[in-house]
Amino acid sequence: MQPHRIVRWLCRVLALAMALALAACAGQKASGPLIVLDWSGYEQEVFWQEFKQAHPNVQVQHTFFAEDAEAFAKLQSGFVADLVHPNSSWLQLYVDNDLLQPIDTSKLKNWPQIMEPLAKMGQVNGKQYMAPWEWGYDSILVRTDKVPEMPDSWADLWDPRYQGHVSIFDSAESSIVVGALALGYDPYNMTDQQLEEVKQKLIALKPNLLGYWTDYTEINQQVASGEVWVAANTWPDAYVALKAEGIAVDYITPKEGRIGWVYGYCIPKSSKNPGLAHAYIDAVISKAAMVEMARQYGYGAANLAANQEIVKTLDPDVVRVMQLDNPDLVKTTVFMKPLTEEQRTKWTKVWDDVKAAP
Amino acid sequence: MRDTRSRLLILITPPALLLIMFFVLPMLNMATFSFRQGAFGEERHMWTLAHYREFLRNTAFQRLLGRSIAMAFETSLYCIILAYPLAYFLIFRAGERRVALLTLVLVPAWTSFLLRILAWKLILSSEGLLSGLLQAVGLLAEPKPVLLYSRAAVVVALTYSWLPFVALPIFAALERIDPHLLEAAADLGCPPWRAFLRVTLPLSLPGVVAGFFFVFIPTLGEWVTPALVGGVDGIMYGNIIQDQFVRGLNWPMGALMSLVMLLAMLVLLGLLVWLLKALHVELGDLIG
Repeated sequence: MQPHRIVRWLCRVLALAMALALAACAGQKASGPLIVLDWSGYEQEVFWQEFKQAHPNVQVQHTFFAEDAEAFAKLQSGFVADLVHPNSSWLQLYVDNDLLQPIDTSKLKNWPQIMEPLAKMGQVNGKQYMAPWEWGYDSILVRTDKVPEMPDSWADLWDPRYQGHVSIFDSAESSIVVGALALGYDPYNMTDQQLEEVKQKLIALKPNLLGYWTDYTEINQQVASGEVWVAANTWPDAYVALKAEGIAVDYITPKEGRIGWVYGYCIPKSSKNPGLAHAYIDAVISKAAMVEMARQYGYGAANLAANQEIVKTLDPDVVRVMQLDNPDLVKTTVFMKPLTEEQRTKWTKVWDDVKAAP
Repeated sequence: MRDTRSRLLILITPPALLLIMFFVLPMLNMATFSFRQGAFGEERHMWTLAHYREFLRNTAFQRLLGRSIAMAFETSLYCIILAYPLAYFLIFRAGERRVALLTLVLVPAWTSFLLRILAWKLILSSEGLLSGLLQAVGLLAEPKPVLLYSRAAVVVALTYSWLPFVALPIFAALERIDPHLLEAAADLGCPPWRAFLRVTLPLSLPGVVAGFFFVFIPTLGEWVTPALVGGVDGIMYGNIIQDQFVRGLNWPMGALMSLVMLLAMLVLLGLLVWLLKALHVELGDLIG
């Protein structure tokens, strides 16, 4: 073949390839079922029974994500969903990128039962964008039978007596808060100089670490086997699960405060069924659904009536660990604050530098 | 003449189409992405060299790439060292049973990659086989993870996973060697070790090189194995790339880091091929 023939042939193939790609893109459209972009585990029908009863003919389809960033990226790149379940710290970013529609709380009969401080965390610019569902902590889970002395501060993670037996969550958002609290800084109000100090501090934690945990099952297993004594930034359900296996663990409150988080349901702008999405939210925030969630996961419920029911019926030990009996809980906990895109990029960079450091 | 050419075009078009759609276009997309300010919104349409500057500035990333290259190289080397005698045995000693035995070598590769890595975790963990064994012999006082959560654990797990993929091309290369050549060497008074160095080894080298590439290329970008068994210092370059996409939402940086890895790979492989060519000649001259 002569060169110009090859070029011509290549152009033809390229054109065909483009046409096929375009056709593939045009082929996708969404309508019909209610699409819920959620964490795996929350798709159980017990959580949305009310919706099922009221709308038996609507097909509900759950798609899963494993990271907040994943859900955000999915919606950003055009994924059509009727509901999404992010961390409140991501709300600002969603709203800044025009991804959500406000929730009309007057359409929700269960809304008055939602605790006010939590409802506030679902607001951006005075509008309600998130219906809070579950809340909980990032704190320290300790093998009480292994440690020479119990930690009582975030700074104790650096204690050389725990060398090789500490694990910390592989997440910029929560690890940088730990570094800041250990140094006595306000995590959400740091200068670049202070952030640099936090970075050095986190690098200095490396000799103490067995690893950075990413997977919930993995860390539970490592604590159970005794490889990890001090598991940082674990959630209360880790305590519930390990306690049930008869392992000597405690879930402590560092003197700087636990890190707190709130998750909830939002309605993406791309939703074609906002009416049904509201109905779905109303179902999941019902007292019955939230009691079930707390029972299964040991997280806090955003529904006050559900919480009262839980305090009465749940294992008192779980109530203690969740601090459900603590009226000052919102004040003593360092709740995650919304991060702007700029902050998030900066924090991720710092965390990558920490992990890549020798 | 005309007829053969059009037939050739018809034959080539489908694979070329696949290659362009699923390799060339995505690569170009990735290359363009490395110049974008961000992955979403307005930033997607702003062009910048900031990520290149950041990458050049960030010595931690560069060091990590170097470390990952070393780990991929080690893994490939161990694979070859283990696979060569295996393939040699199968071809020259196993006789009739060679295919059956080769199948046995390949069987583990049919199971899920993840499963095999997790199996290593069970062997190396504090309640695992190795820890128990060492305790029984008295070399270990208390249950402790052996090797696990370290760079070495990553190399061990990867070597195990990729071994069959190196054994196979070496097996194929050895199988192609005409036994008459070795007989002729023996007839002419060549001792077996020299026949190996001058006949078998050079003729099987293409298989060794193919095996090396099979392991080196996927291992350099590896991130699952280090995430599972690597611990703090077993982290590889691939983990940070994954972070850029999945957690950091910094797709341009992830794209750039992937491009740099591709470039490093091409340079290294080119260098290796060149080195092997030079070595091959010298090997012949030396023993001459």
